[in-house]
Parts: sequence; C-alpha cells; structure tokens
Amino acid sequence: MDQQMIAAYGQTAPTARMQAHGNKICRVAMQQGYDLFAKQGSMIAYTGFITFNPWRDSRGQRARGAITGEKVELMQCTGQGDLYLADYGADVVMLQLNGEALSVNGANILAFDAQLTKSIESIPGLAAKFSGNGMFNIKLEGTGWVAITTQGTPVVLNPGERETYVDPDALVAWSSGLRVKTKSSMRAMNLIGRGSGEAMQVAFTGSGYVVVQPSEDSTDRFHIRG
Amino acid sequence: MVEFRKGQKAKLSDLTPGTDLYVGLRLDAPGLTFDISCFGLDANDRLSDDRYFVFFNQPKSPEESIQLLGAQAGDQESFRVTLDRVPPQIGKLAFTATIDGNGQMSQVGSGYIRIAVGGQEVLRYAFTGAEFSTERAIMIADIYRKEPAVWRVAAVGQGFDGGLQALLENFGGEALEDEPAAPPQQQAPSFAPPPAAPQPPAPSFQQPPAPQFQQQPPAPNFGPPPGAPQQDQFQPIAVQGAQQGMGMQPPPGQFQQPGMPPPQGMPMGMPPQGQMAPPVPQQGMPMGMPPQQGMPPQGMPGQFPGQPGMPPQQGMPPQGMPMGQPGAPMGADQTYQYGLTQFAEVQGGQRWTQQNTKMVKALVSRSGAKVIARSGSMVAYQGKVEFKRTTQGSAQGQSRLQAWGTNRLTGQTMELMRCEGDGEVFFAEDAGYLHVVELGGQRLCVNAQNLLAWDDGLQLEPRRIEGQGIPGGGLFVQTVSGNGTCIVKTLGTPMVLPVNPGAPTFADSNAIVAWTDGMQVSTSTAVRVRRTAYPGHSGETVSLQFRGMQGHFIVVQPYEV
Repeated sequence: MDQQMIAAYGQTAPTARMQAHGNKICRVAMQQGYDLFAKQGSMIAYTGFITFNPWRDSRGQRARGAITGEKVELMQCTGQGDLYLADYGADVVMLQLNGEALSVNGANILAFDAQLTKSIESIPGLAAKFSGNGMFNIKLEGTGWVAITTQGTPVVLNPGERETYVDPDALVAWSSGLRVKTKSSMRAMNLIGRGSGEAMQVAFTGSGYVVVQPSEDSTDRFHIRG
Repeated sequence: MVEFRKGQKAKLSDLTPGTDLYVGLRLDAPGLTFDISCFGLDANDRLSDDRYFVFFNQPKSPEESIQLLGAQAGDQESFRVTLDRVPPQIGKLAFTATIDGNGQMSQVGSGYIRIAVGGQEVLRYAFTGAEFSTERAIMIADIYRKEPAVWRVAAVGQGFDGGLQALLENFGGEALEDEPAAPPQQQAPSFAPPPAAPQPPAPSFQQPPAPQFQQQPPAPNFGPPPGAPQQDQFQPIAVQGAQQGMGMQPPPGQFQQPGMPPPQGMPMGMPPQGQMAPPVPQQGMPMGMPPQQGMPPQGMPGQFPGQPGMPPQQGMPPQGMPMGQPGAPMGADQTYQYGLTQFAEVQGGQRWTQQNTKMVKALVSRSGAKVIARSGSMVAYQGKVEFKRTTQGSAQGQSRLQAWGTNRLTGQTMELMRCEGDGEVFFAEDAGYLHVVELGGQRLCVNAQNLLAWDDGLQLEPRRIEGQGIPGGGLFVQTVSGNGTCIVKTLGTPMVLPVNPGAPTFADSNAIVAWTDGMQVSTSTAVRVRRTAYPGHSGETVSLQFRGMQGHFIVVQPYEV
C-alpha cells in the first residue's frame, strides 16, 4: 500500500507529557506513577499498557455533581505508554500549571495530571440559574499538565486591561484569582446571549486570563453519545 | 515612490503624510537566512528598554506601535510601525538584518527595504552584497526623530562585524538567554547595532497631524503595498485564507474579478472608519483588500510561549518540559503550541480586528462607533458596552415598517442588538469562520443566517427568495450596502465562484452564503441532486441560478444547513 499519504500523520517521538497531534488530539506520554484523569470516553487510542478505571470521588464530589445536575465523568488512567485523547473534534489546548490554579468549565475539561488538586466550584449567582446547564467548574491547582477542549480556536482575554464579560456558554476557563461575579444586562427589552433569558454574563475583574471559545455551544458533548 | 541611496536621509512628512507605516525588507542570498529585527533605541542610541527590541520572539512593542508581521507581499519580513504611538523615549527605530548561521554579507545578491503607506510604496532603498565584505550584520535603515513629532528616514546600509553579544553590549542590551528555543520556522534573533553617529537632521517643518484610525481620509491607511502575487484579488469578500491551511483554497487567479468596480486598490475609498489595517498582524493586505483572516501557523505574534515581554495575561508559566515543537506536523493543518500565549487577544486599534478564524473583535466608542449584531453572537466584551435590542428597521435609524413587514412575511426574524458604549465586543457563533468584509460602497446579498454583525450605518434591506423546497419556504437574504464593514460567517472554508456572463451558475440554496448584488437570481429545480440525506428527505434540492455580468461572484460554504 502506498503510505505516502498517511505517513505525515504518523506517530512522533514524545517530547513532553502532553503534546498536540494536530490540534484536536492530545497525546499523553504515560508513565508509571504519574496517573492521569481524563474525561470518560475521550480515549481514542493508546499504545503500551494502560488501564482505565472509572473514578469515583468522595461523596461530596458526587453530591455536588448531583446538585448542579451535572458531573464530569472522569476516568483514571494508569500505566505506561502513549495515550491519545480527543473529544468530538473539539480543539484541544494543553497547558502547564506551575503552582497556580485554573478554573475550567466542566464541559471543557479533557484531561489533567492526577497530582493536581481538584475541586468543584460553582460561580456564585450562576449555579442556581444555570443548574443543569453545565455551569460548574473544576478548579485545578498545583504543578502539572492540563488539557482543555474548546469549540474552535479560543481567544485569551486579560481582564486586567478592562473588566471583561463573557457569555457563560462561551466561557471555557479562567485563572483563579480573578474576581468573578455575574452580571445581568437584561433590561425590559434586551436580549443578548443565545435565545431568551440569557442576558447574563460572567464578569471578571483583576489580573489574569480568561479563555473564551468562539461558540456558544457548551452543552456537554457526552450527551450526543447516548 | 522615492529611491534612496546609501546615506540618504529625508523627512518622512516629505514623503507621505501618513504615520502608519508598513516596512518591508528582503535580502536575497542563496543558502543564507536572515534575522530581521527592529530596535527601538532611546535618544542616546541605547536599547534602554528590551521590550522595544522587536524580533520574531517578541513580535511587538508593549503598546504595539511596532509590530512584526512576518513575510508577506514579497517581503521576507515586514513591520507595522505606528509612529503616533511610539512612546517619546524611543527616538530611533533601527532596522537590521543578521545572518543566521554561517556566511557573510558579501554573499547577499540584492536586498531592499521599503516603506509603504496606504498600500503605496513611498520609499525604497535597495542595496547589493557588493557593498559589504565579511560583515555578519547590516544596519539597513533608520526611522528616527529629532523633535518629538518629526520623523525622518535614513538609508544607512552599514555592515557590522561583531557578533550578537558585541552588538548588544554596544548598546547596553542584555542577551536574551532563551533565544534559540524558537519554533523551527523561526530564526534566531538578531542583534545589530544602531548607527554609531546620530543622523544630522533634515530640514524640518511641522508635520501635519496625520489622522489615523476613525478619521477621514488624508492619511492613507495601513497596508502593505501591492504586488503581492499570492493575494487573491476579489472584492469585497474576504473569504480566502480563513482556513487553517486545509489546502482548499482556490488558486489565486480564481478570485480575480476584473470587472469589479472600485474599492479595489484605492486606499482612500475605504470606509470612513478606516479599518484598513490588517486585524491579524501576520498578514497584510494589499491595498483595498479586505482584511485577511486566519491564524497561519507561522509568525503569529504571541504564539510562542515564554517570549519575553508579553503581558501577564498570557500567564501560563514558562514551560518546564522541553517546550519544543508540538507533536506532529500535521500536514498543512495547524498545530497548537503549548499554553495559552498563542491565543492571546489580538490587539488592534482598528474598528474590526480578527482574533482568529472564528472570532472577531469590534471596537465601539462613545463617539459614535456602534455595531449592530445578531442577538446571541456576542461571546464576550470588555469595557462598558450596552446591548440594546433593536429591530431591523430601527437599526437603520429610520422607522421602517416595511422592514418589519418583510420580516413577518418571511416568517423569519432577525433578532438584532445594538452594541454601544465604550469597549470591545467579541463576536463568534457556532465556531463558524468569520470574514471581515469591507463593503466599500458596494452591495452584497448575504444569507441572513450568515450575517453576524455590521457597522451601524450600513443599509440593510431584507429580501426573500421563494422557491419550493427551500427550508422555511424561502431564503431570507439581507442586501447590505454602504461604506463599512460587515461580518459574514461561513461554516467551513467557503468557495468563491465567479459568475460567467455566458452560462449561469448554480448553487444549492442551503449552501449559498452571499453574492454580489445586481445579478439575476432565480430558483431552479432543473438541477436535481439525488441525496440520501435522511429518511423523509425529498431527495432533491432547490438550486439558485445566477446570471450576471462579468465580475459578479457567489460565495458558497461547504455545509448545507
């Protein structure tokens, strides 16, 4: 068979814990002792010996998930080899935390190193209104790698320049330390955001960054799977 | 255009009233690669602030008065220099080139630096390698000032023997340690000195204030000069280049629309807001071209993690792992680097700034720059912006019951909002590709679903194209006209088809995005395409048939709604 065509898409030697293969596949170099949490079902291929176990956290975790009507099903990946992750053609952005914290929309998380401390946090004022809408966040802190997914190429904004307001559906992640609150720009006849009643944005102030995706479809793509 | 000789100097205002300069450089030498950079030096010709050393790893100065744009329009490297915004402590911009690797300047066959304003080349200084011997660096030209607002140009053409370290010490900079860790297509930074002696001033008179952004003509706007052979020439839709290199773009000539009237190539004919400048800095436009979009894989400012002097928002820490190259070179597809710096907001003072292929930023100001957008297309905003629901009629500032009526007739509503205030609004929708279209006085028919946002002040006229089988019973089309910009969304990389006078052109009504006004449009079921789309589908679609004169074109997206 003529392999000219596909040769360009072959494996490459790993140089880092997480690497992009194209911009929609995340490839993780797995090592014993360095476990990884990944979104369930995001594994598309692996080489070597890797085992996947559904991850059940403490009761608090699940309780929270139940309250928000949403939970990210994570799996714990253990072993040695190369692991390839993707999430329905979404763009994958990899970054490395170096002691700071990152808050990621639950629907946009793809994978993260197990040694990161994680906690569920909700946006004050938003959780109640967007219950069941995926509007809860995983806060990751520590030193390690994180892979997040975005619908389309994201843009990173700095609220330090000016106060920044983001459509909740387009919000992907932000650096912890920003002041977060919700803002309703709803007036009698105002309709912004998608559909009705969504005249609400998440407001950020302070120095840091906010990742915004060019799509307002933040519904968990898991749902399509069913 | 003025041809400069070595050593020649002139006042910039004698050459052009513009202060928004495009500076392009090229050095031809077989087997050699060059690092071309710009030094912002203080009054003592010292690099007192490292952030004004603009090179590939630091593609812009803090306030973005100097931006590295990358290779374009035949130039190996290009800069955008906005003189009005250059801070007062910077007295000289020295453009230099150094050899990357082994070699000497005498190997250079030919080279030039050119300055263009508003797409017009105003200055060119050409040189050959014969003027040099074993030097490894060359100081090509300076833009400098004596008085605060009087800028001058000097063709320097000085070779320099020393290496980078020597140069840097020469003007007090410090060697950056991470310089070589750049992506492969980039070169190591170059450090070449400013000329030893300050240039004698040219005769001076006060430069006329050259208006820039958001003002009426006099100063031509920014844009690389013509003669970019690879640029597509069609107007007014900027549909090309939106892809991340999927190789789907038609060959250049295909967009050529010789019969298209004006806006092509007249910088003055641009909309009053003057949003001529390329929103994405690494690409330029030949004059009159609509801004190109795209996040080409190379040369994107802010794409390289750990680059010095980046504002803190890109906040991710320096990479601990070898930050080397992203995994696989995926053919033509773009591969993201690590971290978030590559996605940093594209700053720009223009009215519309493309952030990436899928997001566009609009500036709104109290002074009247307002934007009308489809409700729900805003993904984020910064500053104090208010969104007011509006209807199409009132969006045009006139009571147009007719517009309402048409809306009702079509059964389709176009919920609009008016964005006003003071700030920046980011538009995107469904991760579709966004195209910044400069109308330049022309009329364009856009499928209402594909029209995302536009300048307040453009005229919109709803139309309905009826035909059996069209979803919704008809095609809801907006005819946009006026002087300004509108944002057109396509799902996937669009294709532009010229309409030949001889034979009609057909397009699927589900895939049509836009077409030039003035064509005869009719529905046609003569073209039947069997489809096995889904059960219940009639198996045939309605085509639109376009007949028109030379110069008309249609835009089709690879996605049928």
